[in-house]
Amino acid sequence: MSAPERGGTTTYLEAIRQGLWEEMESDERVFMLGEDIGVYGGAFKVTDGFLDRFGEGRVIDTPISEAAIVGASVGAAMMGLRPVAEMQFIDFISCGFDQLTNVAAKNRYRWGQATPIVVRGPAGGGVHGGPFHSLQAESYFTHTAGLKVVCPATAYDAKGLIKAAIRDDDPVVFQEHKFLYRRVKEDLPAEEFVVPLGKARIHREGRDLTIVTWAAMVHTAAEAAEALAADGVAVEIVDLRTLVPLDEEAVLTSVAKTGRAIVLHEAPRTGGFGGEIAATIAEKAFEYLDAPIVRVTAPDTPVPYSPPLEEYYLPGKDDVQLAARKLLDY
Amino acid sequence: MAEKKTKGKKKTATAEAVTESAAESQETGRTTGEGAAPTGEAKEDFQALQRRREDLALDVTRAFPDKYRISGEMEGCSDAAKIDLLERLVRTRTFDARMRRLFRQGRFEGTYYSQIGQEACDVVIAAQLEKTDFVGPSHRDLGASVGKGIPLTALAAQVYNRVDSPDGGRYTACHYWHPEYWVMQPSTSIMMNWIAATGAAFGFKMLKKKGVAVAFGGDGATAHGDFHEGCNFAGVHRLPIVYIIQNNLWAESLPLSLTTALTDLAHRADAYGFPGVTIDGNDVISVWNTTRKALQRARGGDGPTLIEMKTYRWFGHSDIDPADYRSEDEVEDWTERDPLPRYVAWLMENEVLDEERLEGIRQAIRQEVEQAVEFAEASARPEPEAFLSEVFVHEYPGFDVRAGR
Repeated sequence: MSAPERGGTTTYLEAIRQGLWEEMESDERVFMLGEDIGVYGGAFKVTDGFLDRFGEGRVIDTPISEAAIVGASVGAAMMGLRPVAEMQFIDFISCGFDQLTNVAAKNRYRWGQATPIVVRGPAGGGVHGGPFHSLQAESYFTHTAGLKVVCPATAYDAKGLIKAAIRDDDPVVFQEHKFLYRRVKEDLPAEEFVVPLGKARIHREGRDLTIVTWAAMVHTAAEAAEALAADGVAVEIVDLRTLVPLDEEAVLTSVAKTGRAIVLHEAPRTGGFGGEIAATIAEKAFEYLDAPIVRVTAPDTPVPYSPPLEEYYLPGKDDVQLAARKLLDY
Repeated sequence: MAEKKTKGKKKTATAEAVTESAAESQETGRTTGEGAAPTGEAKEDFQALQRRREDLALDVTRAFPDKYRISGEMEGCSDAAKIDLLERLVRTRTFDARMRRLFRQGRFEGTYYSQIGQEACDVVIAAQLEKTDFVGPSHRDLGASVGKGIPLTALAAQVYNRVDSPDGGRYTACHYWHPEYWVMQPSTSIMMNWIAATGAAFGFKMLKKKGVAVAFGGDGATAHGDFHEGCNFAGVHRLPIVYIIQNNLWAESLPLSLTTALTDLAHRADAYGFPGVTIDGNDVISVWNTTRKALQRARGGDGPTLIEMKTYRWFGHSDIDPADYRSEDEVEDWTERDPLPRYVAWLMENEVLDEERLEGIRQAIRQEVEQAVEFAEASARPEPEAFLSEVFVHEYPGFDVRAGR
């Protein structure tokens, strides 16, 4: 597989591949390591062709050792390199948890050491991956001071944010939504662009109700918004893009406008990042609210495997519509 | 192993005694131990050392029978370098003993982790490193920092958790480090440093730089998964790294027999395709020769080496641990295998050192330690809000760690 062509219709996956490729081209300190990323090109082929172009010195097939993948990235970052580590599935990050949350996250704080690493990998459900291949892992990391957490929903953002993540001097957890890899595509500019961390995006404008969400749920929210529009309800969708840093202002501005808020995410409810958003709105925009804040999330279970089970597990268009109706009737 | 007895109140050795003692130890007759000293091993090559480790049982009294004497030659070590090494060892011991006493006097908050007894294991290799070589110490590696030349003032301020500590008081006492000396901050979470140092070695290799990395861990830490992942990764990539296991027989309160069914931890290296050797970690000559070879291997592109050093921590895991899980006999046996008097005696036998010079070194170092203590005590305590910054390199608008207040 050859160098990615810039511009034109680009899938979410290809967008990430482009972003990685461009950063590898422009900065020789950038290298990648992970399981089956070289010869095989990665479980989802995100790094297909990288070995041929950049060589085994910069595209490193590692043993099945997540702690070593993250830990070696931390050490190499201390030496001035900019590692991009792939978790074959983001679920496996638990095996490198200590290296990520105790070493990488605290290096800056403990001893001023910058740790410019990106730990990226496919997250999320919808592809019948079962309990170990479907996790949305963001809440482990939003709760760890010192990590940045990125969850793109579109091809444009996936490309622009992976570039920003690699250039950032802090450790970044970059969750790619595997359901979106080949299902989401758009025309991307031929010229280079970067999407800064910490800036939310209004996916759809509306005046009646705000849905704050990220990753694949942006598209679920959009389906619900479309259905509600038929009844004359104008939904505004705030796509956070990055959870840390959080664009609080974008959330509050939208809620101040609409007076109603749904927080929607794919991860289980308890301790989910949606609670953080809801609390922020309650603390800082209470006087604008015309109705309670509502969370629409997965239940507090692991992600089940069988399609009917998983379909029930994942928040869907109907769940969002139901919540919206409740709020509008409040 | 000697039959266990519950350790009574009787102290068989104190740090202070030894600090005062390098010379006195001779006077008390410690230079006349019996039995064959491990003379051969200093001259053996690595393969021979590896074969030899078959003979080295857990019971070091059998493997290294001479408690008081060491012998052999220190390869490629000038007389000046031998004295320099002695100074670093005495500096480490003196500082450690002084800090222990200050802790018991309540002069600083938190806790204290003494390394006394284990100094040779990290001082000797650290003293051989270039400033830009990378060190990944564990939580009992004062000697790695002193050995690499970090000023005692910075180390004392670290123990006192004052503003002049390299970490400004954010991090636990005795986790010595310094950015300018390429000694990374040790981890409280066991073995974090093992993989990070492996990554640094990986960085040296990728950047085609001539550095080596040295990682330290204890016997207990070899049970951790990160030990395996780090070693395995280093073996695959033939990284320029030297792994040091300080086997002091106790992982906090856990005896070695409950950490592993192995007797010699050097065997673990076989699983990773690089050499592993077991040596007497309290024998400065043996430690010097072995670490020197391992560093040569690393610098020459021959990959990692695992060195198990049998040693002993004289005191508890931290200084609030009375360590009464160990038998009195064991403690006594091991404190007699003190690396410092053994080395001093050998230097004197070889006429590299005499009483007068030793006394001069001790005086100068005592003074240096006192100055470091004065520096730490005079250093300000951090301002309460000083911890509310530098969570990220690039902070961002709206980010406010005070939000929790």
